[in-house]
Amino acid sequence: MASSNEDRVLSAPYRSDKDAKVYTSPPIPIEFVGPEHRFKRADLEIEGIDHGGASYEGRIFFNNPGATRETPTDLENGYAGSFYIFGHGGCLGDEGHCEVKPTNQPYDYRTPHPLTPAHKRVTVTDALVEACRKGTDVTVTVVPVVQTTNELVDDEDVFHCESMHFLTYN
Amino acid sequence: MANAIRTRVGAHNLSQPQIDGLRKAFAAIEGFKDNRGFQFLAGLHGLPAWYCWHHQQNRHSSRHMQLFLPWHRAYLYTLERSLRDVVPETMLPWWDWTLRPPRQNGIPKVYSDPAPNPLLKFHMRLNTPQGIIDRDTTRNPGPASGLPTQADVDDCLNRPDWLDFCLALEDVHDNVHGWVSGDMGQVSTAAFDPVFWAHHTMIDRIWWLWQVKYGNGDIPPDLLDVVLAPFNFKVRDVLNVHNLGYDYAAVRRRITITGV
Repeated sequence: MASSNEDRVLSAPYRSDKDAKVYTSPPIPIEFVGPEHRFKRADLEIEGIDHGGASYEGRIFFNNPGATRETPTDLENGYAGSFYIFGHGGCLGDEGHCEVKPTNQPYDYRTPHPLTPAHKRVTVTDALVEACRKGTDVTVTVVPVVQTTNELVDDEDVFHCESMHFLTYN
Repeated sequence: MANAIRTRVGAHNLSQPQIDGLRKAFAAIEGFKDNRGFQFLAGLHGLPAWYCWHHQQNRHSSRHMQLFLPWHRAYLYTLERSLRDVVPETMLPWWDWTLRPPRQNGIPKVYSDPAPNPLLKFHMRLNTPQGIIDRDTTRNPGPASGLPTQADVDDCLNRPDWLDFCLALEDVHDNVHGWVSGDMGQVSTAAFDPVFWAHHTMIDRIWWLWQVKYGNGDIPPDLLDVVLAPFNFKVRDVLNVHNLGYDYAAVRRRITITGV
């Protein structure tokens, strides 16, 4: 039996101005950046980011859980930096095509799945120093600003990751 | 001379004969329906072949396996050779997205001049389980002020660590894809937009500028023999662009001051 999609014509991807779901972390202690721990650079590393859907800018704000895409990107508003995700644009294969299989399978020498989650590193030195000046912990808010979407992707719930951590350089 | 190293130049600096040759070569391969053609070569990146490397991608260990830069260098080389099969003098130009008006307003004019212009768009024909794509590529660019700046490039070039450099440069790269938006804004169809190749030539150029500064840095030795499928290269084969027969133009202007 013919697939119901055989005659479907996919439309062109486009830019969206919809507000996407904002993520805010629980408070993270930052005593490690206190005055007695001098560092020259601090990064926020985000592990395991899904990049199967829309392309977007992830704007990072510290201690500003109410941030939106309209919030000015300055230190006063806790803006720490941005990362960018170049998304695949949704699954264009058959069922299971975009499912990333478990890693470390013995004798599996094929190239990795293209949707193996992404890793991003954002240098946030100034914003972290500022947060440290004001308190002993920080919340990380990620405001996704969608750059490209299409009819196949959920462009309101775009940011998903496995973990994030700070990395300082002395 | 057949064996001479050839020079890639900025899209903003192309001479009229270079523009004519580039357009003639693109028009020709866009017309080929076989494996010399643009439809086939663009299809190696996302739809339908999915060979492209982005991010760390490593199923076998937690160690990062950054092949984004080597894979795309091999990819550019392959398309450039196809162009040169048609017009031997043709080289891929780079899109210097750090330039601002009046020097350049976003996408280079040579890629945005109205049709007939084979660098403006390409008609894709793809069948997927979700439906058919049978249309011209599109773009929805943002304001030029949203493109990466020279400071962003310098930030990348000031990172001597291979992984740190790769992560920073790939993020800049991701931003430009999203900035152009339309088909350039999604992995599945990006390579079908002719401006993809100018964008990636800029990324490759920045990697070469980094290599001029740091050599191969601390690129992990066990990456060197990884095969860059489907191309006839391992990582070590693409590290030196001179071995691939090209270099990047460095603009030098000599101003003679007399009377001193």
